[in-house]
Amino acid sequence: MAREQRATGGGGGRAALLARTTLERLRSRAFLLVAIGLLLFYPSYVDSAQDLELMGEFFPSLNSMVIMIVFTMMAVGLNIVVGYAGLLDLGYVAFYAAGAYTAAWFASLQFEQVTFHFGAVGVSEDLPGIHISIWLVLLLAALFTTVVGIMIGLPTLRLRGDYLAIVTLGFGEIIPQFVRNGDSIAGFDLTHGTFGISPIDSPGFGSTLNDTFGLPESYRQATNAQELFFWTAVVLLLFTVFCSVRLRDSRLGRAWIAIREDETAAAAMGVPLMRTKTWAYALGAFFGGIAGAYYASFKSGAFPADFYFNISIFLLCMVILGGIGSVWGVIVGGMVLGWLNVEGLATIGSKVNEATGIDFEVPKYQFGIYGFIIVLMMLFRPVGLIPERRHQRELEEGVHDEPLYDATHEGN
Amino acid sequence: MTTEPTREDVILEIDDIHTYYGAIHALKGVSLNVRAGEIVTLIGANGAGKTTTLRSINGLNQPRDGRIRFQGRDITSVPSHQVVKMGIAQSPEGRKLFPRMSVRENLEMGAFQRSDRKNLREDLDRVYTLFPRLSERKNQKAGTLSGGEQQMVAIGRALMARPKLLLLDEPSMGLAPIFVEKIFEIVREINEQGTPILLVEQNALMALETASRGYVMETGRIALADEAKALRQNEQVRKTYLGEGA
Repeated sequence: MAREQRATGGGGGRAALLARTTLERLRSRAFLLVAIGLLLFYPSYVDSAQDLELMGEFFPSLNSMVIMIVFTMMAVGLNIVVGYAGLLDLGYVAFYAAGAYTAAWFASLQFEQVTFHFGAVGVSEDLPGIHISIWLVLLLAALFTTVVGIMIGLPTLRLRGDYLAIVTLGFGEIIPQFVRNGDSIAGFDLTHGTFGISPIDSPGFGSTLNDTFGLPESYRQATNAQELFFWTAVVLLLFTVFCSVRLRDSRLGRAWIAIREDETAAAAMGVPLMRTKTWAYALGAFFGGIAGAYYASFKSGAFPADFYFNISIFLLCMVILGGIGSVWGVIVGGMVLGWLNVEGLATIGSKVNEATGIDFEVPKYQFGIYGFIIVLMMLFRPVGLIPERRHQRELEEGVHDEPLYDATHEGN
Repeated sequence: MTTEPTREDVILEIDDIHTYYGAIHALKGVSLNVRAGEIVTLIGANGAGKTTTLRSINGLNQPRDGRIRFQGRDITSVPSHQVVKMGIAQSPEGRKLFPRMSVRENLEMGAFQRSDRKNLREDLDRVYTLFPRLSERKNQKAGTLSGGEQQMVAIGRALMARPKLLLLDEPSMGLAPIFVEKIFEIVREINEQGTPILLVEQNALMALETASRGYVMETGRIALADEAKALRQNEQVRKTYLGEGA
């Protein structure tokens, strides 16, 4: 093996290397297909899995899965900003909120002054308020959030490093506050204040498509509502991941990496800094918006209490745990932390209490526990669970990587 | 001594620029020019304003006063990515590689602003011919290279932009003497292939041997301007920059 590597200069060595990378690629593709398959068929085996004697409780319910997937989507979006472009964003929750409220504005009773229906399902024709099909609302949310991302980005992205983090932190606080107090903007009720906006319409394909193609008319009224919400979430996640991977490998993606590595050098190579960074913000926001809008429709409400600062940190933890910049890592990080958040800690807690006979409420200490996980990661595996391929490929080709050196790259 | 250049010859013309770092007046009226096909060197002590002059040219630190013209066009307040697109590439001070990108990816970054990206392969080959060493290490992470090799990447990366003017900032900095020789040899070779070069150096001896003309900077001003040969003979230059006793 070692000799083969040394012989890369010769034709034989190169062919061997090529064969190995092709094999590697096939293997990872097969692995990916199996993973997607397992995920898509989760509804069909979740019940029997949960009945398992040993680990049954560790399988999340379908509803929990939807929440986990939505948060993972946001983490993948945040990864574009933090992982690819290296811009520490501590206010990503703002995009989640913007997405959720877009859904609340365009698919609920909120604006009862008007009655406007367009492709909405599960609501009667004469219901007041704006009711647009959730599929269009997802698109609207994505666009609106992108605009919000650009608006936040333009003034803040001139800043570097810690300063940028502080300002994004500020925006992450401003938006929930705005939402909380937005029930009387010059007398106009935009956000319904602390009550939030509820209910929000359900996704669905309407009666025509139901008749012709058998697509579900309205998710919430369907008998298999949970499964429908789950599959749609999976499709949205796959879309996010696909876009994210394509972006990473694009010219824009290369420019982001260049900025992350050395901003001055990137500028000297002709990378337009502001434009490139704003794109990272806008595209990160785009997916946050879709996730937020879908989640709002799933739980039929948008409430200001959902958009606290800790969500931003929680998403950031997912990115760090999985591996900054690594899409696959962030998915794993997102699913693991998402699971811990919705079910895992409670399950583990009750197991621990059962076994030891003490009464200790594990979920109460959730942020302490996440913090502890991050500290452990930073100490023992700073590149994350699944490091970015950039590092991996270099390891494969025999360049020795010093982990400490990599750990410092966020400081630049 | 210097012959006044004809207008068509001059590709870069800096006219009395004043550049600031915040409140610090770093360049206090610098004027210089580079003509087609020549190597011009800018020498001087640390902090004299050599790097600031380069940063003024490529738009990273735009001057508040004065004019910079490149091929007849005013580029004084053109943003840096446009300057690169117009054909001014540079190998920055301290090399500034992308440490976790491979050598090849670093080189490709050099062509970032080029519109004719289909000739990338050809240009990569040209750089590899110039620096065979880089060809051997094209998949290696730039951060793991030696200082000399990193300098090669920095110069190669600038060449990938197919520059009409190449700015080199201290290419010999921190290199072993044998590498210094090699780098200057390559600088000459690049120039012979037709690219004019503005070379900033602390190694005045090597710089004046390589360049055809030179400017000596002192505290934000041009103190001396002459043919390189004449500057080598200049007593003050010999004493201050070439380290020769009186």
